[in-house]
Amino acid sequence: MNKISPIQSIGIPKPLVDGPEKATGKAMFAADFQATDATVGRILRSPVAHANIISIDTSQAEALPGVLAVVTEADCADGYGVLPIAMNEWALARHRVRYRGEPVAAVAAMDVATAQRALDLIDVVYEELPAYFTADEARAEGALDLHDDKPGNIEREVEFDLGDVDAGMAKADLVREVDFHCAEVCQAQMEPHAAFAEYDAARERLTIRPSTQVPFYVHKMLARTMGMSESHIRVIKPHIGGGFGCRTETLQSDLIAGLLARKARGTVKVVLSREETFITHRGRPESHIKMKVGMTKDGTITAVDFTAQQRGGAYSGYGIVTILYAGSLIYGIYDIVSARFQGYRVLTNTPPCGAFRGHGTVKTRFAFENLIDGMATELGLDPFAVRRANLLVAPTMTENDLLVNSYGLDQCLDWVEKASGWKQRKGKLGPNKGLGMACSHYISGASKPKHWTGEPHATIHLRVDWDASITLLTGAAEIGQGSSTVMAQCVAETLGVDMGRIRVIAADSALTPKDNGSYSSRVTFMVGNASIDAAQNLKALLIEAAARKLEIAPEDVECLGEVYRGGQQDQGLTFEEVVMEALKGEGTLAVKGIYDTIPESWGGRKYRGAAIGGTMAFSYAAQVVEVTVDPDTAEITVDKVWVAHDCGKALNPLAVEGQVQGSVWMGLGQAMSEETRFHDGLPLHANMLDYRVPTIVESPPIEVGIIEANDPHGPFGAKEAGEGSLTGFLPALTNAVADAMGVRATALPLTPDRLLELLEKKARDERVSANASGKVA
Amino acid sequence: MEYLPEMHLHNPATVEEAIRLHDAAPASRYLAGGSDLLVNIRRGIEQPDHLVYLNGIAEMHAITDGPDQISIGAAVTLRELAESVLLREHFAAVAQAAGEVAGPSHREYGTLGGNLCLDTRCVFYNQSEWWRAANNYCLKYRGDTCHVAPAGKKCFAAFSGDVAPALLLFDAEVELAGPDGRRRIALMDLYRNDGMDHLTLTSGELMVAVHVPKMPSAIPTGYAKSRVRGSIDFPLAGVAVRMGLQDQLIADLRIGLTGVSPLPFLVRGLETFIGRRPDDACLEEVRDVVRRQAKAMKTTLTPPHYRRRVAGALAQKLAESIF
Amino acid sequence: MKSTLSLTVNGVTRDDVVPDNLLLVDYLRDKAGLTGTKIGCDGGECGACTVLIDGRPRHACLTLAATCQNAKVETVDGLSRDGRLTAIQRGFHEKLGSQCGFCTPGMIMASEALLRRNPDPSEADIRDALAANICRCTGYVKIIEAVQFAARERTA
Ligand SMILES: Cc1cc2nc3c(=O)[nH]c(=O)nc-3n(C[C@H](O)[C@H](O)[C@H](O)COP(=O)(O)OP(=O)(O)OC[C@H]3O[C@@H](n4cnc5c(N)ncnc54)[C@H](O)[C@@H]3O)c2cc1C
Ligand code: SF4
Ligand code: FES
Ligand code: FES
Repeated sequence: MNKISPIQSIGIPKPLVDGPEKATGKAMFAADFQATDATVGRILRSPVAHANIISIDTSQAEALPGVLAVVTEADCADGYGVLPIAMNEWALARHRVRYRGEPVAAVAAMDVATAQRALDLIDVVYEELPAYFTADEARAEGALDLHDDKPGNIEREVEFDLGDVDAGMAKADLVREVDFHCAEVCQAQMEPHAAFAEYDAARERLTIRPSTQVPFYVHKMLARTMGMSESHIRVIKPHIGGGFGCRTETLQSDLIAGLLARKARGTVKVVLSREETFITHRGRPESHIKMKVGMTKDGTITAVDFTAQQRGGAYSGYGIVTILYAGSLIYGIYDIVSARFQGYRVLTNTPPCGAFRGHGTVKTRFAFENLIDGMATELGLDPFAVRRANLLVAPTMTENDLLVNSYGLDQCLDWVEKASGWKQRKGKLGPNKGLGMACSHYISGASKPKHWTGEPHATIHLRVDWDASITLLTGAAEIGQGSSTVMAQCVAETLGVDMGRIRVIAADSALTPKDNGSYSSRVTFMVGNASIDAAQNLKALLIEAAARKLEIAPEDVECLGEVYRGGQQDQGLTFEEVVMEALKGEGTLAVKGIYDTIPESWGGRKYRGAAIGGTMAFSYAAQVVEVTVDPDTAEITVDKVWVAHDCGKALNPLAVEGQVQGSVWMGLGQAMSEETRFHDGLPLHANMLDYRVPTIVESPPIEVGIIEANDPHGPFGAKEAGEGSLTGFLPALTNAVADAMGVRATALPLTPDRLLELLEKKARDERVSANASGKVA
Repeated sequence: MEYLPEMHLHNPATVEEAIRLHDAAPASRYLAGGSDLLVNIRRGIEQPDHLVYLNGIAEMHAITDGPDQISIGAAVTLRELAESVLLREHFAAVAQAAGEVAGPSHREYGTLGGNLCLDTRCVFYNQSEWWRAANNYCLKYRGDTCHVAPAGKKCFAAFSGDVAPALLLFDAEVELAGPDGRRRIALMDLYRNDGMDHLTLTSGELMVAVHVPKMPSAIPTGYAKSRVRGSIDFPLAGVAVRMGLQDQLIADLRIGLTGVSPLPFLVRGLETFIGRRPDDACLEEVRDVVRRQAKAMKTTLTPPHYRRRVAGALAQKLAESIF
Repeated sequence: MKSTLSLTVNGVTRDDVVPDNLLLVDYLRDKAGLTGTKIGCDGGECGACTVLIDGRPRHACLTLAATCQNAKVETVDGLSRDGRLTAIQRGFHEKLGSQCGFCTPGMIMASEALLRRNPDPSEADIRDALAANICRCTGYVKIIEAVQFAARERTA
């Protein structure tokens, strides 16, 4: 008899379910939608950094033939914002502009030339106000408040003091404190922001295709801004050309497209230029971090005392969450017994920052891993030994009440140590070459959603009809990270069926259940679990049907995926036959699966905002970076990266590798070449030449080791794979450069000019001390 | 859909026709590959009414090997330059420099003429219309102050073409054609030290070809550029070096620079190195001479200090490596 | 000014009246309805718009359509044969050279051009050929693997 068994779908490398569209050009991104009657939407942006708007005169623009609509804040019913407690943004500036490039008005016209002319005809009178481009300026005595309800331009001040930090420092054999500075960086996803909005004027309904990671939030904010019933809006997520966090909140362009479409009573396409996409920003804020650590001779960390100041930009966005993460996620990776944190999120006249891959953790982790690496050197300890001296033991609860149920950092360390040949090669690479390492971690979704409504975290619908195909309906936004593939795998695995049976329909508010969106690495964990739940529910129905048909008890049905049978001798029923039986008297099968987090994972209450950091599971990563430095030009070549990532069960090892490589490489850009600076508030890097995303030429080979410390709550044990390994690259790089050149960089990005300065300073210092000792002798 | 102003495109088949077409309309521009001009038109820096497209002019596409010189048509692409066996043999630095321009796709259609006639660059200038307007423009275009050196009346926008300094090593000449006929000038004389008006081309003048005299004996040359990324980026500093030895002593030394001032130029005062042994001490002096003359200004996001230092370092490294 | 543009796009001969100031990328996307070619920057900086003109890669965003008279233009939309993925397309799909897919059309066209003139490229050749194409998702590791896969498939 043929050996029949359920088909395995997880743990096997799987190309993405939507891969063929992308390879053939058929994948439709927001800007690809066409309509013969579509008009062109364009945005007028503020040329000044901070000003009261005295008047906006749109009459001439409106009178221009070919112009269908002109909108301003007067067309907005309300403001918006991603955090319910900090909604201080408007789709179009209201009474005041707070950064250069802020949208002030927008037009819809027959063609680009007319749209351009119309923008030129809009007359805005500004009364300029003092503007602040750094956090220090905005916090200075006497600075004007950007927002009336944010005195001193402090968006949020965060403080905690857990354990006895002073006693910890006193116990330490070595205490070091260093200032770190990290430049602002931007996601620079390849697809410029776009939205395609169709207004059904007869029914007063809006359908919109925005380039977003969070269709549900866009839906809500459109309703707010447009003063429309949520039920009259349909949001369909097209293919998304990356996001990395900048699209985890509603962007003005999404809202403006909706406003224009309604006013034009038709179809409007808004496609931002690359410059506008940079100005929309929502990147990682410029940060100053002061990090102080106490360590004993054997490398045990006794206390951490640190501060962070972030230049948040002109509006709240995710700011509160970012500064909270910057503090809380000092925990969760090592055994930290005492820590003190003071953080300031500051409002400035620059484009708003947001959530960027590794949200909140990156700069803190850079400072910490850089500092302890230097301390290890001072103490004559191996960097691996220092990490190993401070490992957690799972399951545990951190001092700030973060749940750690699975922990593979020790295995990550072992893997990269071996793969990189650390023990044999460290210190023996020859001049101007070095090895550096660092660790990092990340949450698998925030345990408490921002919009807390009592609904489950994730909901999945499965539909099975007479054709025996399975349609998976999910609100989760596939943005290239492979979420649709993971869901299909989870369902296929649970049912034991061929993945080809499953068709994923994602993120269309008219068809799919609500989902909060693709951010904080929540999708695999939450939506994966909901997919399993749905598949189990479906399987129960199918088993019942099979039992009926086979005239046996449901417990006696053996489910082999494509075959259901009563036992070894039974020829069994095909999946199709079981489905037909299940449909009898029932009609189309529609089952649901949900997932909810457990209260223990909701984070602490030990300080205000302590819930931020709470997650069901942490991913862990360790990496080793090998560099060669040209001592004359100070150019750094990254020769190779070895990275181990504990993602629990690797549902799709191919996608995990891709995510980890992409993360490490994105960390490389931030560490070495990318930054966002301003000239009087004008962005200096708002193009792909000056914002230096690494090219293929200088991008290193990245060898990935997958570590599977399965999490008891993860879908098949899986955890996050797409963010955690970004962070470690930054300190691993500076640590490697320190190994190669004997200079320790504390400011990023470590561009050749910054490194040259460090090398020149070192040479000067050596000359001075040589002279000094020469004199003594 | 991108907004571009109304323009008329012309497709001449000969140099003379091109000049006539250019002459006939007031605001016209020669269009070669367009990899610089179209960027500038899109940004509103250039607003020509007429574009005279040079690609159809056969004369401008040839690389000709003559007895004493090699002639390169101005419409020859950078890829053709980089891959040319002839150039690699005689003028290695030129082929190398061409191969370092932008990225591979740019080199497929970017031309020699466009590279030599490239507009100067500055972080306050290579920005969108919205950006420059918000910044009150600048001296170079539509404004009245320079944001790099606000006290002065000079524009420091840097010439950033890679190929020019390499050609300067070989006493290259450019053949120009204009309403008044053809003339030949030293490549060096094509440029002047003014970021606002760095080309000495007269109105309507077209570069037809570059003529490079062959060297009596093979002297090693090379080109290196500094940039943050391994591709695409313009040079922060570009250095071309020609160094010949006789009996292990320096017999010939030239260094061309780009990216550090409004014009590409040959470093002055290198005669003093003739007859010296190219040891470390000597090449460090060469480095220092280059540094002193690489007077980069704050026209890029990378600080001038670095561009100066790296120009010197690259010159030193090239000199070490090419012989 | 407008003129009639005659060219072949993906093997199909077309005649269109186009204004002189129309960019090739807008012609392809908005006139010919071939939206496979992407726009990722404000001109020449990202490679997303890479198409083949007479077999060689070029930025459609810095090319005026009117300069493509009688040219042979190829875009990602026309690459697959009989509805089947070609080797390079399979490489990007199966080896995960494509994550979000936005850089993919440009990457595929630049890779296609490489493989046509160099069927057996080294890793360095691949890096050189794709050096004007930015990808923000993959870190390029799997893009290199995708091209290597395609090279093997094509010669097999
Ligand atoms: C992202 C990016 C990166 C780049 N990086 C570099 C780089 O690293 N190094 C570098 O050198 N360049 C770089 N460039 C600029 C450009 O690609 C090259 O310099 C190229 O050689 C320009 O040639 P072209 O034929 O495209 O010039 P075009 O854009 O056609 O012309 C440039 C200018 O020269 C004039 N011109 C062209 N041909 C003639 C002629 N025969 N006679 C008279 N005038 C003429 C035009 O009127 C125009 O003013 C870059 C461009 C981009 C978009
Ligand atoms: S150097 Fe001064 S004048 Fe010249 S482009 Fe730059 S800012 Fe303008
Ligand atoms: S869109 Fe053409 S290079 Fe970016
Ligand atoms: S796959 Fe997303 S940009 Fe390359």
